[in-house]
Amino acid sequence: MKPRQIIDHIVLILGCLFMVLPVWIALTSSTHSAETLFREGLQLWFGDQFVENYRAVLLEQGGVTKTSTALRMLFNSLILGLGFAVGKIVISMLAAYAIVYFRFKMAEFLFWIIFLTLLLPLEVRIVPSYAVVAQLGLLNTYTGLIVPLIASATGTFFFRQFFKSVPDELLEAARIDGAGPIRFFIDILLPLSKTMMAAIFIIMFVTGWNQYLWPLIMTTDDSMYTIVIGIKQAFQVLYEGGELPRVQEAFALTILAVLPPVLVVLFFQRWFVRGLLESEK
Amino acid sequence: MKRVQFSGTPLPYFFVLPQIAIVIVFFLWPAAQAVYKSFLLEDAWGLTSQFVWFRNYEDMVLDADWVNTAVFTVIFSMIIAFASLAIALTLAVRANDILRGASTYKTLLIWTYAVAPAVAGLIGNLLFNPLIGSMTHLLHALGWEFDRASNGFDAAFMISLIAVWKQVSVNFIFFLAGLQGISKSVQEAAILDCRSRSKRFWTITFPLLAPTTFFLLVINMTYAFFDTFGIIDTTTRGAPGGSTQTLVYKVYTDGFIGADLGGSSAQSVVLLLMVLVLTAFQFRFIERKVHY
Amino acid sequence: MQRKMLFAAALAGVMGASGLAQAEPTEITLWHAMGGRLGEVVDEMTAEFNASQDEYKLTSIYKGGYEDTMTAAIAAFRAGQQPDVVQVFDAGSATIINAPGAVFPVEDLMKKYGVGFDIDAYIPGVRYFYADSDGKMIGMPFNSSTPLLYFNKEALTKAGVEPPKTWEDFEAIAPKLVEAGYVPLAQSHSPWIFAENFHSRHNIQMATANNGFDSTDVKILYNNDAMKMHWSKVKDWKDKGYYGYYGRNWGDNQDAFVQGKVAMWLGSSGSFGGLRKSADFDFGTTYLPYWESITKDPKGTFIGGAALFALSGKSDEEYKGVAKFFEYMTKPETQFFWHKETGYVPITTDAYALAKKAGYYDETPDAEVGIQQLSLPAGEWTKGYRLGYYVQIREVMYKHFEQLLNGDETVDAAFDGIETESDELLDRFKDTYN
Repeated sequence: MKPRQIIDHIVLILGCLFMVLPVWIALTSSTHSAETLFREGLQLWFGDQFVENYRAVLLEQGGVTKTSTALRMLFNSLILGLGFAVGKIVISMLAAYAIVYFRFKMAEFLFWIIFLTLLLPLEVRIVPSYAVVAQLGLLNTYTGLIVPLIASATGTFFFRQFFKSVPDELLEAARIDGAGPIRFFIDILLPLSKTMMAAIFIIMFVTGWNQYLWPLIMTTDDSMYTIVIGIKQAFQVLYEGGELPRVQEAFALTILAVLPPVLVVLFFQRWFVRGLLESEK
Repeated sequence: MKRVQFSGTPLPYFFVLPQIAIVIVFFLWPAAQAVYKSFLLEDAWGLTSQFVWFRNYEDMVLDADWVNTAVFTVIFSMIIAFASLAIALTLAVRANDILRGASTYKTLLIWTYAVAPAVAGLIGNLLFNPLIGSMTHLLHALGWEFDRASNGFDAAFMISLIAVWKQVSVNFIFFLAGLQGISKSVQEAAILDCRSRSKRFWTITFPLLAPTTFFLLVINMTYAFFDTFGIIDTTTRGAPGGSTQTLVYKVYTDGFIGADLGGSSAQSVVLLLMVLVLTAFQFRFIERKVHY
Repeated sequence: MQRKMLFAAALAGVMGASGLAQAEPTEITLWHAMGGRLGEVVDEMTAEFNASQDEYKLTSIYKGGYEDTMTAAIAAFRAGQQPDVVQVFDAGSATIINAPGAVFPVEDLMKKYGVGFDIDAYIPGVRYFYADSDGKMIGMPFNSSTPLLYFNKEALTKAGVEPPKTWEDFEAIAPKLVEAGYVPLAQSHSPWIFAENFHSRHNIQMATANNGFDSTDVKILYNNDAMKMHWSKVKDWKDKGYYGYYGRNWGDNQDAFVQGKVAMWLGSSGSFGGLRKSADFDFGTTYLPYWESITKDPKGTFIGGAALFALSGKSDEEYKGVAKFFEYMTKPETQFFWHKETGYVPITTDAYALAKKAGYYDETPDAEVGIQQLSLPAGEWTKGYRLGYYVQIREVMYKHFEQLLNGDETVDAAFDGIETESDELLDRFKDTYN
């Protein structure tokens, strides 16, 4: 190998270490006892408490977070991730279909209304959003958790671009065959969009899983906490102290929180990269 | 637009309805409320309120704390944007050049995209724990008396590092895609033209990546403004001395923790204007891209 | 999707309504901020209350820190979804007591639905802390704590010193502790201990208008010579290595003590139960030190901690349940259990008497220090304080204390800053709540 390439590899290896080490320490430390971590500091290699710690976090009510079990929280996160992804895809696809394939008066105007969502991140409307959801009686429901998040200008833009790139001949041919708008959508457009949908799905699942501020505000019942809110609760318990800090369980919780979305990203890496490149545009 | 379209059916209205309904109920209405509340002094419980015109805005700009927070937010965003872009670009260029192991490196570099900011925050927080944190021990061993509890710079360093760690992956993916998009013929011509590798990078590759870089700059600024909330909330919570507080975090602490809704709403409205500017930048870029 | 949403809303409504109609027993909810070991004790008490009767079913929900709990309650109240009872901490009490109509005062509640109410049944220190300006008790003191000095006996023996009574004593023993390899002192929550309780202990006024009890038109008086003297000393201690600061979070400072790195730690009497479990050394407690140069006659401290508030807008049935629950909570047996398990002080004289009679303090004399400190002679300025936006004022204090400690600000500049910024907040509060 040329020296230049060796340097390339060294730089890349350092980059990878920077990315991997923090989570590696979280993983190894999560297999030690609270005593060990508290007296000897965080650990770089595995201990013998793997089963105990993960069992406690997953199954014991009121463990490190003092609330639900991690199992319950993982389930809630799964619902949020799936609901968020599916919801976004469905409503933005429908809207994009209407805007691209139909001639109707308010198309332009409605498109701009959807565009406005880009200007109104949750952070600037958080207090009133909570009030709306509460008035609809949706606090602590999956509907209330998911629906306010799924309006999406980026999703609509993305499908709009994609539909525009679909050759016009397809529609002409379909019409000659006598297919109506619904038939055309189901028989022609959906199959064509499969890869795109999968790509967006991966991104959106991860984004949904990782939501923080909204679940933090609107779930007041611990049976609705997502795993990310569990992280916040674990932090709170450590912050307040009062007992031997259960750092090992906090770490176990972080590992459980990152594992599902990381696996999704790694398994579907190709779609993920494509989705990211397309949807962020 | 399409040359051929369906027409004369109410179907499109049904198709856009869900999206529009959500936008109105959960975006436009709450945002209007936020603007309205920014002109009120209202008690926490919503029992009494009075219209005070711009009092909340006046108090806000006269508040040294808010001004400091605004300055910090801007500096913090730039640091995160530049640091994560620089690291990502360095890695992407090398990952694009090497012949062997590229896909392994790529996998190891992009997975952090899936880590939630709050999770990154908690891990970072424990790594920098003053008593048991490995990073604290390492920095002390290196002779840096790292003290996030009372030293504002150290605390800001910690949250910036976590935020950058979390953001390198996105930038890396875009840069790598950008590099791979440069056509073979351009690359070959470049090799003939400039022998020096670094000169080749700065005169040919980097200009070709400029649109991507500019676009990423906006993305990164938005990230630093909004998505770092989860990191701050699980590490410093703005301490010490407010030196790691961002504008979004202050909206949250004043409005939710401090129960000062009018003041917090006024801050939200200012944030809204900032988003407007960022989005204007971004959208101009999108439009241009669409046209080409 | 929209239709589905409306359907879900309707369904939730129907279920809520039918839930009320058939509910037997009546459900009441408590939102609290007791994490860690404290939360487990609250759960045990909840279970005991539920087992003690079958008309009401209490659900206790941990909502995070004090701030988070209050925030959640406020947001829920505005949406008409409030719990029956919420735990509100000392710094938040002005926000809830000054908002007429947000709370059903505990005194009225107990008179209307319960067994009556006698404010004199409560120990002197807690009687008026959560009362309105007429002396009517609004919130029921729940977890009442007071700042104490915890000391590592082993460390003190090693250094050959006695626990300090005064800060002058502390300055004398600190070098010996440093020599023995310890950081002499750390503290959790400096606004609470080194500002609020500093004033109570030295009997100094901390705000105009009777410490804020008489009016919301109030100015902060923190910018005084005693405070400035104290904090220039604290800065000095930090520079000399007498004082360790591990951040705002309670846990990190306490952990430094538990690790044996810090010899003495200023914490809450409520930390006692947790420390007994986590510390692997013998520790003792003593009163919060005072400056002999300021006073020869130190007074008691404020109660800290939090109170339970019954929120308005609930049905008679639910209030009856709340009254019943409060009755249970103030029973000597319950209070004794709470006191024993957590270290929070018993709030009624009967409970204190019971703890004495049971011989609890003979086994663990250190557990009595908190309540003894609260029972020290009262002074003019030891009743408490009532200041609006005090959560933010504590933030302001933290900010300036931190800047002072790391040398970014002089003591004078820090206290000028605290005064100006606090007064601005108090002014906003006055205009908002009048």
